[in-house]
Amino acid sequence: MILLGELALWIALPVGVWGAVAGFVGGRKERGDLVLSAEYSVYAVFFLLILPSAGIITAFVTDSFEYWYVANYSNRELPTFYKVAGLWAGQRGSLVFWALLLSFFSAAAVFTNRTKNREFMPYAVGVLLTISSFFLVVLLFADVNPFERLPFAPADGRGLNPQLQNYWMTIHPPTLYLGFTSFTIPFAFAMSALLSGKLDARWIVITRRWILLSWFFLANGIIFGMRWAYEMLGWGGFWFWDPVENASLLPWLTATAFLHSIQIQENRGMLKVWNMGLVTLTFLLTIFATFLTRSGLIESVHTFAENTTIAFIFLTFMGVMAGLSALLIAWRYPLLKSENQIDSFVSREGAFLFNNLILLGAAGSILWGTLFPLISEYFTGQAMAVGPPFFNRVNLPIGLALLALMGIGPVIGWRRASRRNLVKNFLMPVIVGTLVVGALFLRGVDHGMALLTFGLSAFVMTIIIVEFVKGTKARAHIEGEGHLVALYHLVSRNRRRWGGYIVHVGVVMIFTAFAGVAFNREVVQTIDPGETITIESPFGHEYALTYQGLSSPRGENMVRQAVALMTVERSGRPVEPLTAEKVLYVKWEGSPLTIVGINSYLLEDLYLILENVNDLGGAFENDAAAQRATFTVQVNVFVGWIWYGGFVLTLGGIIAMWPSRGLTRTVSRPKTKTGGKQPALAARG
Amino acid sequence: MRENGKFFVGLGGVALVVTYLIWTGISETMVYYMTPIELMARVEADPTFHQVGVKVSGRVVRGSWTRADDELLHRFSVVDLEDESVRFPVEFRDMLPDTFNDTENVDVVVEGRFREDGVFEATIVLAKCGSRYEATAEELLG
Repeated sequence: MILLGELALWIALPVGVWGAVAGFVGGRKERGDLVLSAEYSVYAVFFLLILPSAGIITAFVTDSFEYWYVANYSNRELPTFYKVAGLWAGQRGSLVFWALLLSFFSAAAVFTNRTKNREFMPYAVGVLLTISSFFLVVLLFADVNPFERLPFAPADGRGLNPQLQNYWMTIHPPTLYLGFTSFTIPFAFAMSALLSGKLDARWIVITRRWILLSWFFLANGIIFGMRWAYEMLGWGGFWFWDPVENASLLPWLTATAFLHSIQIQENRGMLKVWNMGLVTLTFLLTIFATFLTRSGLIESVHTFAENTTIAFIFLTFMGVMAGLSALLIAWRYPLLKSENQIDSFVSREGAFLFNNLILLGAAGSILWGTLFPLISEYFTGQAMAVGPPFFNRVNLPIGLALLALMGIGPVIGWRRASRRNLVKNFLMPVIVGTLVVGALFLRGVDHGMALLTFGLSAFVMTIIIVEFVKGTKARAHIEGEGHLVALYHLVSRNRRRWGGYIVHVGVVMIFTAFAGVAFNREVVQTIDPGETITIESPFGHEYALTYQGLSSPRGENMVRQAVALMTVERSGRPVEPLTAEKVLYVKWEGSPLTIVGINSYLLEDLYLILENVNDLGGAFENDAAAQRATFTVQVNVFVGWIWYGGFVLTLGGIIAMWPSRGLTRTVSRPKTKTGGKQPALAARG
Repeated sequence: MRENGKFFVGLGGVALVVTYLIWTGISETMVYYMTPIELMARVEADPTFHQVGVKVSGRVVRGSWTRADDELLHRFSVVDLEDESVRFPVEFRDMLPDTFNDTENVDVVVEGRFREDGVFEATIVLAKCGSRYEATAEELLG
C-alpha cells in the first residue's frame, strides 16, 4: 500500500501534465477528443492521489518508522485517531493532502459540468491540472517527499507534538485546506473565460456555488482555529494576529469582497475587470497562506520547518500566476468593458463597492503589517515590526464601517436610492440603533467603540428582521399561507438572498462578541487550598472560586498530570466546579501543557488558568505539601457569541448553497452592446 | 457624469482614510525588530536606546529559566542565534506560552525594553511551536 502510494505520486505527474496540455490544445484547436482525454486525466489524477494519502495513513497506522515523516510525527502509543490526522500534521503530508483535495474538487467540477458549460471546460481543466501538476512537482522534487526512507528503522517515533493532540487538530486544518483548495475552481473558470473570450457573467453563475463553498470552509476553518486557541492555548484569547492566522484571514476577506462584487456584475454588468482581479488575488492568497506557513520567512508560532527551496518555488509559482493572469486580463480588457455606469453612490452598487474597498483595505493593512518586518528591512536595512496594537487600531474602524454597510447594502435601492427608499428602509433601524446606544450609555457603558458596535449591530439586526417580517407577511397575504409556511417558501425561493441575511446575522453576533472583549475582567492570585478567589462580572455576577487542591490522577504512564479543582459559586449559588491542569508528556521534552477550565453562560465565560504550581514535580507525585499555585481567573464577556454566531453563519451558508430544484433564476443577461459611452440606460431585467 | 465624478471622489476618500489608518497605525505602533547582536551594538552607540521598545529574536539558553514563587516572574537568558557569546537576561511578569522551555533549543521573540541595568524587561514572549522541529536521522536513532 505504501509503495503503491509512492508509485502513484510518480504516475500522477505525467498524467497531470498530459491532461493540462491536452486541455489547452484541445480548447485552442477545438478537438473534442483531446478535451475528453484531459477530463479523464482529471479523474485519473484524483484516483491516483488517493493512493499516496492512503499510503501515508497506512504507514502511520502500521508504525512504519522507517519513513522519515512517520518517525517524526508519530509513535507507537499515539491514538489511531491522531495517526490518521498525521496526514496533515507536518509539511510533507499536508502537501499531499492539499493535492488530494485539489484533485477531488477538480474532479467534482468536471463531473458536475460533464453535460453543460462545455465551452468552458477545456481551459478550466487545463488550468486545474496545471496547478495540480505544480503541487506534484513540489512533492517529488523539492525535498519534501513524504515517502523518504531513513537508512534504518528507529524502534519508535518521536510522537506528535502534544499541542496538536487535541480533537480540533482533526477538524481545523482540513477545514481550512478545503477552503483554500476549493477556491481554485472559480479561479480556473475565470481564467477559462479570459482565454476563451466568453466574458459575460456565465463563469460567475457556474462557479458561484463554489465561491460560496470555499468562503464557507474558510469561515469555519478560521472560527475552529479561534475556538482551538481559546480552549487550548491557555492564553485567554482567540486571536493573536499571528502571521499564519493573518494568512488564513486574507483570502477570506478578499473572497467576501468577491462574493459581493459578483452580484454587481450579475445584476448590472459592471466591475468585470475588478472581479477578474479579485478572483486572481484570492487564489494567490490561498497559495500565499501555504507559502507563509512553510517558508519560515516570517516568525510565527505556526511555522513548519524552514525550507527555502519550497519558499522559492512557491514564490516563483505565485509570481508566474500573477503575471499570466494580469496579462490575460490586459489582453481581454476591451471585452471587459462595463455595461453600465454608476449612477449614484447612494445606491446598492455604491454600498457594495464601498464594502469591497473596505474589505480590500482590511486585507491590505493585514498583509502590510504581516510583511512589515521584511518590507522595512528591505527598504531601510533595519527591520521594524508591528503587532496586535497596529492590527486592532486599523481594523476596528474598518470593521465598524463594514458592519454599517452590512445593514445598508442589502436593502438600499439599485442605481440611485430614492429618498422614499431610504426613509422607508432606514428610519426605524437608525432609531433602534440609537435607542440601544442611549440605553446602554445610561446603564453605564462608556466604551465608545463598543457602544458603536452594539448600536450598529442593532441597526443591522433590525433591518434583517424587518426584511424577514415584510417578506413573510407579503407572501402569507398573497398566497394565503400560514406564516411559517410562507417563511419557508420565502427562503427556499431565493436561498442566496435569505441565506445571505442569515449569514449576516451570524457575522453581527461575532462582531458583538469581539466588542465584548472591552469588558473582560481578570484576577491573578497565588493561593493555598481552602482559599478563595473572587471576581465580579460586568453583568453583576459575583463568582467565588474556592481552591480544593491539586491531584495527580494515575493516567497512562507517558503522561503526568496535575489537576487543580475549584468549587464555584455564582452569585452565592453553587455551580459546576472547574478544573485546570498542567499535563506533561514525558516523551516530549519541554514544558507541560496548560489545560484551561471554562464554565460558559449565555453572556459570559468563567475561564480558569492554572498558571503555575510552585512545586510542579511534587504535584505530579501527589505530594500533599506541593499545593500552592498561581491562578488566573477571567470573565470573558460575550465570547460564546463567536461560536453561536459561527453556527448561525454555517446555517445561512448551507441555505445559500443548497441546490435548488427546478426553476433556477440563472442570470445570464444578454450583453447590451454599449459603445462604452452610452449613458446608463440598460433595462433592468 | 457628474455623479460618477462624485462617486470616484467618494471611493478615493475611502482609500485615503484606509491609507491614513495604516500609515498612522504603523508609525505609532512599530517597534525595532532586531537580533541580540544588533541590540547590543545599538545601545552601545546610543544609550537613549534603552528607553525604546524593541522586539528581539533569539534562543533560550538551556537551563537558564528560573521562576519566582508566589508571583508571576520568570527569568531566563536569551542568546543570539549566530554568536553564542552575545546573550542577555530577560525578566517577564506574565504567563509564558506552553511552547516555551529551556530544555530544548527554543527560539523566542521577546518584546519589551532593554533596561540600563542590562536586563531585558519583556512584555510579550513568543516561543515557536514545536511542530517546526523535525529531527535529523541521528536524533531519531538516539
